[in-house]
Order: sequence, then structure tokens, then C-alpha cells
Amino acid sequence: MAETAASKARGAAPTSVAAPGSGTPAARAGAPQVDRPVKIIGIVCNWCSYAGADTAGVGRFKQPANVRLLRVPCTGRIDPLFVLKAFEKGADGVLISGCHPGDCHYSEGNYYARRKFELLERMLHYLGIPKERFKWTWVSASEGQRWQQVVTDFVAGVEKLGPREGRAL
Amino acid sequence: MSRQDEIRELARVALSTGRVDYFIGWREAYNPSEVVPAFVDEPDSVDQLVWNDLCAHNLTTFLKRKMNDRPNAKVGICVKGCDSRTLVALMQENLVDRERLYVVGVPCDGLVDRRKLEKEFSDEIIDITTSNGTVSVTTHQGLTRDFPKADYLLAACGWCRYKNAVYADDVAGPPAEEADRHAKPVWTDVEAFEALSDGERDAMLEEIFATCIRCFACINVCPVCYCWDQCVNRSRRPELVSQKVDAKGNLVFQMVHMLHVAGRCPSCGACDRACPVEIPLSLLHRKMNKEIYDMFEFEPGAKLDEMPVFQCFKIEDAFGD
Repeated sequence: MAETAASKARGAAPTSVAAPGSGTPAARAGAPQVDRPVKIIGIVCNWCSYAGADTAGVGRFKQPANVRLLRVPCTGRIDPLFVLKAFEKGADGVLISGCHPGDCHYSEGNYYARRKFELLERMLHYLGIPKERFKWTWVSASEGQRWQQVVTDFVAGVEKLGPREGRAL
Repeated sequence: MSRQDEIRELARVALSTGRVDYFIGWREAYNPSEVVPAFVDEPDSVDQLVWNDLCAHNLTTFLKRKMNDRPNAKVGICVKGCDSRTLVALMQENLVDRERLYVVGVPCDGLVDRRKLEKEFSDEIIDITTSNGTVSVTTHQGLTRDFPKADYLLAACGWCRYKNAVYADDVAGPPAEEADRHAKPVWTDVEAFEALSDGERDAMLEEIFATCIRCFACINVCPVCYCWDQCVNRSRRPELVSQKVDAKGNLVFQMVHMLHVAGRCPSCGACDRACPVEIPLSLLHRKMNKEIYDMFEFEPGAKLDEMPVFQCFKIEDAFGD
């Protein structure tokens, strides 16, 4: 009886400071419940996709704010290590984007890159990272609308899975 | 003449005619149960060279070290089928000087996994001999047991399709019997792991890679891993790969190694054998080669006139969207 009284007393006070959403017990089976916005690393080339993201911003296209952009000279510059390390350090998703094939500022950087990304993507899935958490695509400097679409779709996919609690990577 | 005698004879001729300055082969270690790499520079000492079912070392790895030490020296080297593919992979990218090489191909019928045999005994092994598909193992206490060779082959021999060297100046003895090289490769060794769910693979990889001690043996022994002091895995400033030894960092470390030798690694298995904590690295490099084959129908180091797939591109490649 004393215990119930104590727990009642304990339970009474914090109700006012309970975190929003704590009333809905939506804990996924097994996985510890983490409630935070997803963090996504976007690796973009300077010449097309970074400018494309800029175009989207200038055009005031609404898009989720979960993507942190990392600007590199060319998709050919992207070492698979960048992606692996992002996941290791706790990124919930990684998005890579560059110039469309044929439009590379350095003529052929993205032709090499797409071969690498394809292998990397297949290996990432093998390591237990779901398909929704890694995407590579092409967005040109003028394609603000496409950038908005890519980011919105990708973030929605990652949000569906929620924050990542990877064990091996 | 046995293959061993052929190797000795070819080495003797090459050394005495001045075709090579030194010759890399295998020799017996402190007892007949173990073989180590040997460097021979006198025709009189070629008799220390051996060829038996324990000659697992991929000697190509010494080319990346030794050829730069003596820039004008000509080198003789023994290669098995798998070793020759690593050599060809280096040649494709002009990473070794072909003019200074004398390559002796050694046809191979599969080698014995000494580690597997060690696990059968509590005692130290002092002698291993094979004849007609039976491995005879003798221990320090004098116990002798026979094992069927087929059950104690190296993992790399299980997926081997190149029993004969793909590139050689001379061949030691008649070629080994070989199944069709051009048949589609089979990947049964990685399929079981692939069939697991994402979460199961994640958990299993954590368990496997937690034991890595970052001794760098896999990288040091890798014949096609070439960057040395420029290696991102070794870099401390900037610290590109975390030096902390935890499962996540270890997997990143291994994946960086794998993806940096993609298109050059023919899955010779040297890294699996070198690992002191027995991490099955084949889980990664075999899967990688499976995907490379699936993407390009390319087998690393199989043909001298091919360009490694990540060193070139085709405009009509159909990857991505």
C-alpha cells in the first residue's frame, strides 16, 4: 500500500514536464526508443548539386532541414570512406549527388564515381544498412525542383526507419 | 621430375645465368610441418627451395616491398594460380616492372590449411606430409594421424578456378588439371551470410569485427594493397580512420582496405590466413568480387590486357538513375 502511495506521489509531479509524445508507447520491438530528428549527410559536388541545392534555396522550395551538406570538388573525389565514416559516426542516412553523366566539370569524374558508388551501395546493404539509408543520384545546378524532390523523398524514407542504431557500422 | 625439382632447376639456371639476382620461393621452416618464404641469391643454395601442400604464402606481396629496395635487381618469383592473378593485377596498373621479373608458374592442386589441422591436436605439430590425397600429421609426442586432404583444404582453394598461373615465363612441370576457367563462378561461400536479414548481418558483423586488433597484418600481407605511408588507414594526422579498436571502427578499417583494392583483389586469401584472430575477411572480399563480377563480368587479375574496372569507365554504363 505504501508503495502505491509512493509511486502515485512520484507519478503525480512529473506529468507536467513529460516529454511530448511520451504518452504514445510506440517503442519498436527490441530497438531502444530514440526520439530525435534524423541526421543525414549529403555529399555534393561543387559544380552541380551544391549549386542545385542553392537554386532550391533561392527559389524558396520547401524541403526538410535534416540534411547537412558536405561540398566536394567532384563526385570523383568521394572516397567510399566518407560514407562509411558518416555511418560509423552516427549518420542516419547518406545522400550523394553530383553532375549528370556527361556534364562533369572535370569531364569524366562522375563516370568513375558511379562505378564506385554502385559497388559501395551493394556492399553497404550487405553490411546490414537498409537500402533507404543510402542514395546516390544526379542533380544539376538548374534543377532546384529536382533537388527538393530528391531530398524530400530521401528524408521521408529515412524517417520511416527512424534514427539508426547500428551495431557493426 | 617433381615440381619441387623443377622449381629448383629453374631457379638454379636463372641464378647462374644472371637472369635474376635473387629468387623468391618457399623453404621449410624449423620443422617439416611449416613452410616460410625464402630468398635465394646463390645457385648453390637453391636446394633449400621446396614445393608441397603447405606453400600457401602469396610471394607476390614481396614485390611491392623488395623491388624498390634494389632498383636494378632482377627478381625471380614462384607463383601459384591465385598468386599469379595478384601479380597480373599489379602489372595491369604498372605497379611492378615486368622487365625485371622472371616468373615461375607453379601448378597447384590445392593446399592444406595448417590452422585447421592444428585444431585437431592439443600438441605441437612437427611434421605434415601429403600423398594421394591423405595428409599425415605427426605431433611432438609422436602421435601420427591421417586426414583426407579434401576436408582440410584452404578456404581459398575451395573457390579456386585458376590452378595454373595466368601469367608465367616458365612453368614448373606439367599443368594441373583445371575445370573450365570461363564457366560462371559460384559464390556459395557468401550466400549463407547474404540470406540473413539486415539486423542479423549487422549483429553478426559486430561480433566478428569486435576481435580485430588492428595489427595491420591483412594490409601488410596483401599483395595488391599498395599505398604504404599514404594509406588512409595509417594516417594519424588527419585521423581519417579512427584508431580506436572497436567493432565499428574495425569494420570501417576493413571496408576501406577492401574497397581500395576493389578490381585488383582476386580473393587469394592471404589476408584470411594472416589474421591472428581468424576474422573471415573472405566474407567481405568474396562478396565484393561477386558484385564486381555481377556488374562487369570482370575477374580481377585474370587477363593481362584487361583494364581494372575501377581505373576506367564506359559512357554507356547503366548504373544509377
